[in-house]
Amino acid sequence: MFTKVAMADENDNERMDGDNQKLEKMFTLKKWNAVAMWSWDVECDTCAICRVQVMDACLRCQAESKKDSYGKQDCVVVWGECNHSFHYCCMSLWVKQNNRCPLCQQEWSIQRMGK
Amino acid sequence: MITLSQRLKRRNENDNTPVPRAPIRDRLLVKEAQEMSQLLPASCSVHYPNENDLSKFTLIVQPTEGYWEGGTFRFDINVTEEYNMVPPIVKCSTKLWHPNISESGDVCLSLLRRHSVDSMGWSPIRRLNDVVWGLHALFTDLLNFEDPLNVEAADQFRHSKEEFKLKVMEYVTSYAKE
Ligand SMILES: [Zn+2]
Ligand SMILES: [Zn+2]
Ligand SMILES: [Zn+2]
Repeated sequence: MFTKVAMADENDNERMDGDNQKLEKMFTLKKWNAVAMWSWDVECDTCAICRVQVMDACLRCQAESKKDSYGKQDCVVVWGECNHSFHYCCMSLWVKQNNRCPLCQQEWSIQRMGK
Repeated sequence: MITLSQRLKRRNENDNTPVPRAPIRDRLLVKEAQEMSQLLPASCSVHYPNENDLSKFTLIVQPTEGYWEGGTFRFDINVTEEYNMVPPIVKCSTKLWHPNISESGDVCLSLLRRHSVDSMGWSPIRRLNDVVWGLHALFTDLLNFEDPLNVEAADQFRHSKEEFKLKVMEYVTSYAKE
């Protein structure tokens, strides 16, 4: 088994986009509404599985609601004990094959769910 | 690189394309294919046999240093409909002498393992870019060969780097010249 140990470079590339986005968002928010800062972390968190913000519907729900006209689906957010958050839809698919948080590899257990 | 982004643009403009069978995979692929082509290692190139299908492509690695220098190695990559819950399927279609690639083309790369007991296996936070860099690293880093796919090559590498090198070159000359 070939295991790559020195992954720092690749990981930097991998997160480059997300971080840039975050920085941009944090900057603009700060500029026009300092009161909203407290909830910034939650509001702008991106689901690492489908790469859509957790406060928006996940990629799957977005794709489906495009097809049917029954309106928006209830796509909720789930927080693990590790404090990482994902769309419930995305995470429930992943834990079926591996019951760990994809970000920190800790065993996944739900801390809370909601919007 | 330019042609890819042009193609992606064209795809978005044509809204009369048939409804994709795997909407999640295809949506992820539009972004990931672009990211992959932008961050491609210098010794690698990507080719799409059908330019309307981003889920099947060939990665060509042409190492400029190391044991496999001078060879042209092709990997057929198939991003299945369950992506990104499962890793892409990768086959090496160039015969080569490598501890982590069998002579029939199976690739042993922890990243591509679907069910992993450790943190090195597939996870949906990975992207095509990680797969490309992982495959590229098979030709640059020689970190560990526990659990190799080509046991004979791994043993040879451990016992005699010179013999290993000769055998690699022999394979490169016979099978991996463009
Ligand atoms: Zn998600
Ligand atoms: Zn959803
Ligand atoms: Zn976590």
